[in-house]
Amino acid sequence: MIKKILIIDDSAVARKMLKKSMPKGREYVFEEAVDGKDGVVKFKEFKPDIVFMDLTMPVVDGFKSTSEIMELNENTIIIVMTADIQPKSVATITELGAFTVIKKPARTKLIEEALTAAELKIKKISGAA
Amino acid sequence: MNSEINEIFSDEEMDILQEIMNIGFGNATVDLAEVIDIYVELSVPHIQVIDVGGLPGYIDSTINKYDDTSIIDQKFHGDFGGSSLLILPIRAARQLMEYIIRSDDDQNLSMTKPMVILEKEFLMEIGNILIGACVGKISELLNTFSTYSPPRVISESINDYQEYIKSFTPNQAAIVLKTVFKFESKDINGLLLILTNYESIGWLRKALNDFLESYE
Repeated sequence: MIKKILIIDDSAVARKMLKKSMPKGREYVFEEAVDGKDGVVKFKEFKPDIVFMDLTMPVVDGFKSTSEIMELNENTIIIVMTADIQPKSVATITELGAFTVIKKPARTKLIEEALTAAELKIKKISGAA
Repeated sequence: MNSEINEIFSDEEMDILQEIMNIGFGNATVDLAEVIDIYVELSVPHIQVIDVGGLPGYIDSTINKYDDTSIIDQKFHGDFGGSSLLILPIRAARQLMEYIIRSDDDQNLSMTKPMVILEKEFLMEIGNILIGACVGKISELLNTFSTYSPPRVISESINDYQEYIKSFTPNQAAIVLKTVFKFESKDINGLLLILTNYESIGWLRKALNDFLESYE
């Protein structure tokens, strides 16, 4: 069951939009990070069930941050939420281990579908462990 | 953000503008990729309000940071109205054209027109795609629509350039949405500026707040 969600995005508005677009009736606990570097730090401290990751960010971008988080825990579910939906960006971030990529701006239906798929994967991982 | 910006837009409004520009330019790169198979490295957009009297100087100093540039200018009209400038190195046109002039037919096409005209038309098309997709997405997110004048390439000659800079009158203040990008495989850096009219600030503030409220 997904409870703890880490949102890594330099835009406070994007983080707010994402939280508001989360499916209703589920109680999540959120932590926020303002760039990819902050994201890795918060990932270690907060130990989230899943991560929402932007790609275009200052300091450390979402590609590097995803790579570092996946090195820390290869089973991490990272849902990338980005305006950079060029095929090469999507292919690169998927190769780095992202679970799925959602186009900005946030839309509840797509987020709900991604969360449902993430729940299934988490169950699968827990079952295998 | 400086105090002069805060007088006009709140931090949250600036953040929405930045995010909307980010989404707009992201969409534009996908549209461009449908025409040219090229990857664009994006950066975080920068939003700035330029004082009355400061716009010609701002444009001049921004463009002059880039040596030997081509400027593609396109005006857009509507609630969200203004000018957009795509600034690329002069060599960009020829390098990017290599992506589309590959077939024999295309090579024949290149023989029918002088290269300089082809390059100019190509630049206008790149500008049309990037500016149209970016401004169009911003307009869509702000629940309005824009119409466009045809793009034009500002000549590299000093006279044309100076006339162009002068066309931004000193009594015109503006909001500048700037994004720097890089065509990865060609090592070409570019700059997209969207300049909105000062008169549209009232409308823009309301549109930004309406946009955010749709998520409340």
